[in-house]
Amino acid sequence: MLENMLPNLYLNWFFAALLVFSGIYCMLVSRNLLRLIIGVELLSKAAILALVACGQAMGNLGLAQSIAITMIVLEVVVVAVGLGLVVRAYRQTGSVDMWKFDRLKG
Amino acid sequence: MVTSLPYFAFIAVPALAALACPFAARIKPRYADILANTALAVGLLTALSFIPEIAKPLTLQAWNMGTGLSVFNNDVFSLLMLITVYMVALCTAFYSIFHEMPDGRRGVWNALILVCAAAMCGVAAARDFFTLYVFVEVTAVASYALIAFEDRRESTEGALKYFFLTAPASTFIVLGVALLMLYTGGTSFGHLAQAMSSSGAGDSAVAIILGVMACGFMVKAGLVPFHGWTPDAYQSAPAPVSALLSGVVTKAAGVYALIRIALALRVIYPAHAANAVGQALMFFGALSIVIGALGAVYQRDFKRMLAFSSISQVGYIVLAAGAGTPLALAGALFHLFNHATFKTALFLNSAAVEKQTGTTDMRKLGGLEARMPWTALTSNIAILSTAGIPPLSGFWSKLIIIVALWKAGLQSYAAIAIFASVLTLAYFILMQSRVFFGKTPEHLAKVSEARAGMLLPPILLAAVMIAIGFYFPLLFSNLVEPAAKAFL
Repeated sequence: MLENMLPNLYLNWFFAALLVFSGIYCMLVSRNLLRLIIGVELLSKAAILALVACGQAMGNLGLAQSIAITMIVLEVVVVAVGLGLVVRAYRQTGSVDMWKFDRLKG
Repeated sequence: MVTSLPYFAFIAVPALAALACPFAARIKPRYADILANTALAVGLLTALSFIPEIAKPLTLQAWNMGTGLSVFNNDVFSLLMLITVYMVALCTAFYSIFHEMPDGRRGVWNALILVCAAAMCGVAAARDFFTLYVFVEVTAVASYALIAFEDRRESTEGALKYFFLTAPASTFIVLGVALLMLYTGGTSFGHLAQAMSSSGAGDSAVAIILGVMACGFMVKAGLVPFHGWTPDAYQSAPAPVSALLSGVVTKAAGVYALIRIALALRVIYPAHAANAVGQALMFFGALSIVIGALGAVYQRDFKRMLAFSSISQVGYIVLAAGAGTPLALAGALFHLFNHATFKTALFLNSAAVEKQTGTTDMRKLGGLEARMPWTALTSNIAILSTAGIPPLSGFWSKLIIIVALWKAGLQSYAAIAIFASVLTLAYFILMQSRVFFGKTPEHLAKVSEARAGMLLPPILLAAVMIAIGFYFPLLFSNLVEPAAKAFL
């Protein structure tokens, strides 16, 4: 069974790696806070895909799916708090530019 | 017969109190304070009452390989974590009674502190990497909100930096969990131990799994290559929150898991620590010690200097954990507890200084010893303890760590630890002379001592430091030695 699943696993991990790369790239190149949050989202989507792919390859899809659903719930909470921070940032600086936040250094 | 720690109560009581807090605050804002303090005090006393049962009869197991079915941890490490969490959270909640904020927000403030405490108890209870991740995320969410609690631009900046650095870190933790599941079919600590002891997964696979996870946890712990968020978040957070963050949040979210990973390595490679992950932990720990201490020397802000000092001290804990001998692990746990006491006291004192003088900029401070004698006294005790001056608690934990490193044949790391402890003294002497000693400048001539209630937590913590220092031989034979033996 594992042998049949393995090519699938490689493909899934390839896409997970692609998502990780896009997420990190997105976070590195953008100054817009909303795009940074989209980068975080892409990264967690990659993690969910990797979890489900591993669960499928192990023949333990139930565990993987329950973990993935728990993670989706958590991630929504995290992103909601992050968006709250972005709203506050917009109120305080009038823009969503990360580079406006340069007061703390040293 | 193993007494089980009532984790459900430890998690549920603060969580339910957090639910009740906003409603209590609606009746009267002070009820929220009373509720939070009561819940945390009861939790601390309960946790303390378990010391004789858990610690004495050597029931602690380092990794519980045989009992994979048991749901929660039952060792000294988890108990120590619970005590630390409740102690620091209680100090924070008690201190925030005197922290000025709009009355309408007291309920939310206390609820967030309680949620944070409950989640950190969950971290101590977890026997499963995914459960650990869930509670780490809950802790993180509560801390984002706490850092940005005051409507200031700096606070938003600190919280955003914390958010954007630690949210990807959680992703890496989950990727590590996924890999672990791929190799072992499960996510619990027991599965990891099985994978490592059987020949199913090779050493390199174990190293990759643990390496990916350790990267995530190192960001959360604020170790050096990943420390970008730490000073900003600590500096910009409301002062009691800085104490909570430095005292327990980084430890529960990062260091705890790193020590668990080190314990796993200890079971698998008992003879020596020559595995990649242990080496990496030691390297980054030593790097944090040195760069944190060097960074602290150049700081002009009181809280920012304390933040760099935190990075340096967390480095000690991780360095010892990476070394992985029983004595080093015991030293890591001991230093974890000690760091919580002295850094909480220092951050709360910095809050008192900020409240009475209106600034934490060390260029504008000076000569506060005459004006705020108790704050100065407790700060000095905490500073000396951090720097490792003999009778105080910090000396013993650093001594254990250095001796353990030396005995493990890691003389160069031991030398770094000794050298950096001199640096610690250097930056703390700078801080003392700038904030507390010297002539009082004119604009500070009318500063008065903080209120008695604000002084109480630092005084109690200073008493704990002195007591641990003097009763250390007793503590060593009853707690540290059994812990070290149990890790064998």
